[in-house]
Amino acid sequence: MMIDILITLFAVIFSLVVVFSNRTVVSAFSLLLALLCIGGAYFQLGANFLSAVQVLVNAGAIAILFVFVMMLINLEHPVLNKDKNKFKLILGAFAILVSLGVLAIVINTNLESFSKDFLLDNSMKTLFGKLFEVYYLPFELATMLLLGAIVSVVVLTKQDKEPLE
Amino acid sequence: MSIYYFLAAFLFCIGLLGTILKRDLISILLCLELMIGGVGLLFVLFSKSTGLIDSQLMVFFMVIISACEVAIGLSLIISLYQKKQTILTDDIKIITE
Repeated sequence: MMIDILITLFAVIFSLVVVFSNRTVVSAFSLLLALLCIGGAYFQLGANFLSAVQVLVNAGAIAILFVFVMMLINLEHPVLNKDKNKFKLILGAFAILVSLGVLAIVINTNLESFSKDFLLDNSMKTLFGKLFEVYYLPFELATMLLLGAIVSVVVLTKQDKEPLE
Repeated sequence: MSIYYFLAAFLFCIGLLGTILKRDLISILLCLELMIGGVGLLFVLFSKSTGLIDSQLMVFFMVIISACEVAIGLSLIISLYQKKQTILTDDIKIITE
């Protein structure tokens, strides 16, 4: 229980730094640490495989990709991320209230409609058995999505070359 | 009730706030990642409370989709920077021009 509270505390602190830091590099590194905390939460909840995937893919690849793109773009002056627009603040507060309400409804419904007496079988055999028996079509579609993402990234970032004279 | 329910709700809400308030595109993508992290945590919590392993597979697919989203979003930012030399949302008025 103590480690759960510690993980939650660190994740809250790092996510606050992500949102309220003025320097984008600091935001990216705190996002990395927040994603690591979420990976720890997955591990505490018994999802060992997902914890490894979270650390490898989200924290290891995606957060580093952000830092890499920041190096490519090389902003000369730090972006002042403080917006004084009052309308945006009101909109943000309203959006947070609505999403908190929706989350409360979802969480309550889930807790009431299912009992907690199941014994969750977390082994790799069960997970991948289900993945390749029930969810094989979404899995194949996900591979097609990755292929499409690779091709579109190459097309988008390709610079137009000057015609040779 | 697990403390992680509060963490998931907090991550989603703070990500939403950042997405609305931030001004440069990279920070907006960072806040989107926070929101996706909160939703993934909620899926794993549901997997624990219902005993079904399907929710964990949903998180597996979500990781794939968020990787695609970040790759395409960052390449869009790079191509925008090559054309306009800016990544601030206030300076981008491609639609209204």
